[in-house]
Amino acid sequence: MSTPGIDSGSADESSPAGPPTGNSFLGDVRVNFTRWNRKAIRNPTAFLLEIVIGLFSLVLFAAVFGDVGEFALAEAGYGDVGYVTFLLPAVLMQATIGSSFNSGIGLVGDLDSGMFEKTTASPMSWTAVFAGKAASELLRIALQVGAVLALAVAMGATIETGLPGAAAIVLVCLPVGVLFMAISNVVGLLARDDEVLNAATMLFMFPLLFLSPAFIPLSDDIELLATVNPVTYGVDAVRALVLDADVATVHDVTAFGGVWNTLVPAVAVLVALDLVFGALAVWLLGRASSANAD
Amino acid sequence: MTDTSSRTGTTDSTGGADPKTRTDDTADRERSVAVDDLRLTYSDGTEAVGGVSLAIPRGEFFGFLGPNGAGKTTTIKVLATLLNPTGGTVEINGYDVRDERRAVRASVGYMAQETAIDEELTARENLDFACAAYGVPRAERDARIDELLDLVDLSDVADKPAGGFSGGMKKRLDAATALVHEPQLVFLDEPTTGLDPKARNRLWDYFRRINDAGTTVFLTTQYLEEADALCDRLAVIRDGEIVERGSPAALKRRVGGEILEVDVGDTEATSDAAVADPATDAAGADDRDPIVTAADIARSPEQFGDDATVETTDDGVRVTTRRASERGTDFVVALRQAGVTVERFDVEEPSLDDVFLAIADGETPDLDAADGDPADDEPADDEPADDEQRDDPRESAESEVTV
Repeated sequence: MSTPGIDSGSADESSPAGPPTGNSFLGDVRVNFTRWNRKAIRNPTAFLLEIVIGLFSLVLFAAVFGDVGEFALAEAGYGDVGYVTFLLPAVLMQATIGSSFNSGIGLVGDLDSGMFEKTTASPMSWTAVFAGKAASELLRIALQVGAVLALAVAMGATIETGLPGAAAIVLVCLPVGVLFMAISNVVGLLARDDEVLNAATMLFMFPLLFLSPAFIPLSDDIELLATVNPVTYGVDAVRALVLDADVATVHDVTAFGGVWNTLVPAVAVLVALDLVFGALAVWLLGRASSANAD
Repeated sequence: MTDTSSRTGTTDSTGGADPKTRTDDTADRERSVAVDDLRLTYSDGTEAVGGVSLAIPRGEFFGFLGPNGAGKTTTIKVLATLLNPTGGTVEINGYDVRDERRAVRASVGYMAQETAIDEELTARENLDFACAAYGVPRAERDARIDELLDLVDLSDVADKPAGGFSGGMKKRLDAATALVHEPQLVFLDEPTTGLDPKARNRLWDYFRRINDAGTTVFLTTQYLEEADALCDRLAVIRDGEIVERGSPAALKRRVGGEILEVDVGDTEATSDAAVADPATDAAGADDRDPIVTAADIARSPEQFGDDATVETTDDGVRVTTRRASERGTDFVVALRQAGVTVERFDVEEPSLDDVFLAIADGETPDLDAADGDPADDEPADDEPADDEQRDDPRESAESEVTV
């Protein structure tokens, strides 16, 4: 006897015959990408708030930690770096993580509203449904990071790598976004409660930010924790692009030269984590699909 | 009750059409649903559906009734490919639900029990998403959306977010999204639950219109009035098994019998024929209360048999019996022979409530049409579907087509 449950779509893709659905896989991705973009336009509050929170954090942290930060920067050899510039990666990571957790909230909303089942019952590819949703969320993260970056520069932050570096910073934030989107979907599928997800956002965001070199240069006391903290790699990669220097804090890779010594290992770690947590999220999504029959 | 005969031509129990002709039409029709011995057992061993077989011809308005937890939603989810069956075969529009899932999904519409719309999007955007999801050609979308908005009477609010709609409006929008691709078959899982009567009636009207347009409708409901008003044919499920099936009229007769009400006037002075009928002999004399006389005649075994229930009313008698139609005229004749004046004569069908309550209580007096080969679900060309209907000439004509 087989176990009842929703097939995640393998039969969809291999169906030998049937009425035309009109959509390719990419067509299904586009359909869902459009839906989630429309939702964001219809209800832009969360999108705009992430930008406002990012800027607010930049101003607040600069004001509160400014003097201590300048002292710490001088001690760590960053004497010529302004604290707003040093703080920029922290604020971008904060905006990225905050925005990423909206992915899980969206999923819980679809589970609650029945749209999850409705899209599952359609002929669309199951994989394409979630790929389209994720693409829309990544677009929003990119726009938010770009907006915070532009406003931070307007407030006095400096990006040594220029415009190409700014574009690269946005790109580096995406694997960080994918990681926390996966985590938020895992939490969402386990809790199925958006209040839990909101709490989890804070639970993940601030401990991970403070256990990284986000706000002040890394101290020896937390180096071990920072090594296993994914935010460390995001902060290091963004800061390397902001300062145009090898600023890796938890490894001593020298094989790539200059800024790449920080960028390559950091992005590799982030992509590896994306694969692990992404696979976990996909597995749980498949499991959730068959939960009605368990 | 709504007359459904004009919609499909299959439920006319008055014998207006040629049963044989209609049977041939049915035999030629493609089946929208062909289910043989469907079983679904959960991983903890609970059997939610145990051996359901169904055959639903294209264009039918089919009702699936049962109490909470009977297996209705589980069955409809299997048919809509949302759950894999653990036994049996299921073909929807000719496609296997296991091996041709995408083809099944493309050829059906599915409206879940809980309203499923995106409340952040407008009505038009919800329909546009559904059109895109089902691959409706871009050139046809605007016209299709306008047509559906008009059909569900939401044109005036087409560009307003659905979150502000009333429950009935949301349900109508949900129903419209299930039909953007003009599916051959639509599954409606308790679509009017929680709606006020006005909203419910509007949805009913909508469902009738899509059925009129040729869409097969598979409706689950707990509302017997809904099944009575809409469905050509019903199956009743209890504890994962089908325990009754037939047209609403057939089920009501089968389980609840009919109610014959006769109002009587004064006893007539003479009755030459009274002595010729043993029943009227037993009933009594001319000077007795005509209501008592009528009740005595009704209770005589020759009239309605032993299973009839006879009650007296202020004006006459009420007889609950499965033989009301068959014996009603003879009863009136017997009353007249006994000198009792008949002032009103009426045969009422019991409500589907009686059917439902009897089944929910585990009283299934006639299970001859229950599960088995799907062939049991549709009649052979040359014979009625079950003994009950063979007993009733009116029902026999109907059953050849619908059961």
